[in-house]
Amino acid sequence: MSALLSIEQLSITLKERNIISMLNLSLNEGDILGLVGASGCGKTTLLNVIAGFIKPNGGRVFIDDHLISDGEHCLSAEQRQVGMIFQDYALFPHLTVKENIAFGLSKLSKAEQLEQVDRLLSLLKLSDYRDSYIQQLSGGQQQRVAIARALAPEPKLLLLDEPFSNIDARLRNELMLEIRQLLKRFNTTAIFVTHNKDEVFTFADKMAVMVQGRLLQIGAPSIICQQPNSYQVADFLQLGSWLPCQVKHKSAQSLLGKVTLVTHDLKQEDLLYLLVKPSHLRLKVSIDENSYPNAEVEYISVTEQGYHYYVSSINDPTKSELLSFYKLSVYSDIELSLKQKVTLSIRPHEYLFFSRPD
Amino acid sequence: MIALYNNKRWKLSSYVIALVLILPMLVMLVGSVSASTKLFSHLWQTVLPSYLANTLLLAFWVVLLALFFGVLSASIITQTNIVFKQYLRWLLLLPLSMPAYLVAYLYTDLFDYAGPVQRILRSWFDWQTPNDYWFFDIRTLPGAALMLALVLFPYVYMLTRGALEHQDQNLFRASRLLGLTAKQSFFSVALPLARPAIAVSASLVLMETLADFATVQYFSVNTLTTAIYDTWLGYGDLAAANTLASILVLIILFVVLAEQRSRSGVTHQSARPSLKRELIQLSVGQQLLASLFCWSLVVSGFLLPIVLLIIMAVQYSDITQLSALILTGMNSLKISFFAATTAVFIALLLGLYQRLHTDKYRKIPLQVSGFGYAVPGTVLAMAMLSTLGPLDHWLNRAGELLGFSAPGLILSGSLFAIVFALVVRFSAIANGTITSGITQIPQSLDYAPASLGVNLLGSITKVHLPILTPTILMAWLLVFVEAMKELPAVLLLRPFNFETLSSQIYQLISNEMLEQGALGAILIVLFGLLPIVLLNKNKERV
Repeated sequence: MSALLSIEQLSITLKERNIISMLNLSLNEGDILGLVGASGCGKTTLLNVIAGFIKPNGGRVFIDDHLISDGEHCLSAEQRQVGMIFQDYALFPHLTVKENIAFGLSKLSKAEQLEQVDRLLSLLKLSDYRDSYIQQLSGGQQQRVAIARALAPEPKLLLLDEPFSNIDARLRNELMLEIRQLLKRFNTTAIFVTHNKDEVFTFADKMAVMVQGRLLQIGAPSIICQQPNSYQVADFLQLGSWLPCQVKHKSAQSLLGKVTLVTHDLKQEDLLYLLVKPSHLRLKVSIDENSYPNAEVEYISVTEQGYHYYVSSINDPTKSELLSFYKLSVYSDIELSLKQKVTLSIRPHEYLFFSRPD
Repeated sequence: MIALYNNKRWKLSSYVIALVLILPMLVMLVGSVSASTKLFSHLWQTVLPSYLANTLLLAFWVVLLALFFGVLSASIITQTNIVFKQYLRWLLLLPLSMPAYLVAYLYTDLFDYAGPVQRILRSWFDWQTPNDYWFFDIRTLPGAALMLALVLFPYVYMLTRGALEHQDQNLFRASRLLGLTAKQSFFSVALPLARPAIAVSASLVLMETLADFATVQYFSVNTLTTAIYDTWLGYGDLAAANTLASILVLIILFVVLAEQRSRSGVTHQSARPSLKRELIQLSVGQQLLASLFCWSLVVSGFLLPIVLLIIMAVQYSDITQLSALILTGMNSLKISFFAATTAVFIALLLGLYQRLHTDKYRKIPLQVSGFGYAVPGTVLAMAMLSTLGPLDHWLNRAGELLGFSAPGLILSGSLFAIVFALVVRFSAIANGTITSGITQIPQSLDYAPASLGVNLLGSITKVHLPILTPTILMAWLLVFVEAMKELPAVLLLRPFNFETLSSQIYQLISNEMLEQGALGAILIVLFGLLPIVLLNKNKERV
């Protein structure tokens, strides 16, 4: 399958600050990509480059094998056949729902415009509001008009900039599923920007994690969550807590004990961080000959899964300070009090070690 | 903010328009610099010191009085439980619609030796000659200052009231919890916080005072503006008039810079102004004093003059006045229509340029084009004459050389000069209104048309202009009204036998015959009321 969108070595500098550096991305026709990353990491800038609102400093962008930007020449936004749904929807307040949807259809005849508008109104359950003005609609209805308007000119690529951030949680999920179905039905390729990974699971086929202007990992959301490829990806997606370990003789030593390494390509004495999910930890309160306390409770909350604790290592001058851990997340049915000493151990699982970036 | 378009013709026309608008001022300033130093030293040895002293003294007194009237009335309205507050709130704005020269004439008529007040006093107390009693002389510098302050204090009132109403109420709650009374909190928290707004309003009053021509001319107080007028029309000395105008521009530039410097980075607007304010409770005596003060301002600044005008209109109006009024009214409408339409068109072109163009310096044309607002009409007229006069001569010579008959003064001696001057003077109003309308449009609406395949022209005609329609109308109306009221530029630039409402009323005032033009004067005041009503309505909505 040929790529509908292809980005090569893209770089953008705004106000003497590198926003995006040497970014590569490829997207097949019909794919929905969820682009996640912290605020200010360059997600919206990337969308604006693809849409043609920002001229990149270097790199090439292709849509459907046509070069639309190469750092010197840039096809103007209105000629790219790229649609966009804005965070605030950007609906025209002086036009009715029907006129908003028909806005990008001026090249069609009146009859064709009407037919396309009617089709989208009915698909998005907006037929009753065709003559209403935007201010007369609810948030969810406005969202539907925005998607209908963006889909009306049948763009090759649709960009969605945090389109669900203004919708309340209950409606959000429903709307995401509905819009996803619609995009699949039109076989529309889409890039969807969010900082909420849960939205990506509901809406997208692929996930891309962006950190400081670079795409660190692209793949199916479930694969990325199971096999993050870096500390930053796992940390941004909040896949677990971090346990410092020191590599020694084919094993990694931590304050919670020793685990055997499967891979042997790690340097001796390297300080690594083991990704531990709450399910990887076993918590004990009773102290016997085989167990001694190695952590204390820092924070307590009550959740549906039982008590949720953050535990940190006990300050022990005989142990290396490098291996001290802070706020490991763990669930338990046992009721504990603050500063209570507990014993933590690691359940055997597929260990993921990462070195922490400076 | 990311701009969208890189249209070269748009860029060129924006810079050319900005240059054209500022060119007359540059020509005048260059002309005055190149004027002989002999001329300047002659002016300095003869009249300039007294003109300068009068100008500065007048400015000082007007600002002082306007601050006293404006800050006190705004404080009373926002901080106390004064009765009839809901009416006084907007009534105190009305004097702004009254041209100072009208008030000056009406009060002179009222308080002069031959006026009804002194006549009644003489008959009551049986005084025979002026030596029998003392009565203040209104046709003096302090009198002119009082007249100007009476119609300019609403600037101070409006901005101070706005600043006081938009302060964070939690600051006062904190102040009260720290042991201060409501009155102490007002003096140690509210008033210091309102200082930037008060400074802005004072500079506005100062600029209006420096620009005033008709009031001081009527009171025979020689200031720089009257000097410019007399030097040009009386002695036909363009170079000397230019020098005087340039000195005035330098003073205004100093005021503008000082004002901007004094408030740089100081804003005290609050996100929580709507919290309920605790009012200072006035005693009966205080209520009386506060009411007397506020109502005196309303009566003397607006109600009394308008009643006097209505009485005049009823007593003296006849059919010949009405036909003259229609003629001059049509002239006023004509020049105001052209000026407002041109200014709004330019504001849209430059405002949207600033918003949508990729040019790194896209703000410059808009900023440059608004410069004229600080320039008095008299000065602007001199600048027009300095620029358009030589251009006319050049055109005539060129015409003759090419074998055509000389076209005459087609630029400096026609309506073109007036409309041009009005556009330069009031572009800032159109710019400000249009820009504030543009900033209300979310930036995503600039991008949305392009994402739907619509180009720049389509985006502007289908999205920006329809959304801006109410703002465009408002900007047009504001410039239209200001152009209707403008006097000095029209007086100096009008072609022969061309009268507008304001110039006709000024002539009648000069000839002590305002009765003949009372209807026109009422019309000017009514036009002046329009923006006040509209702006106040907008503010209340906010």
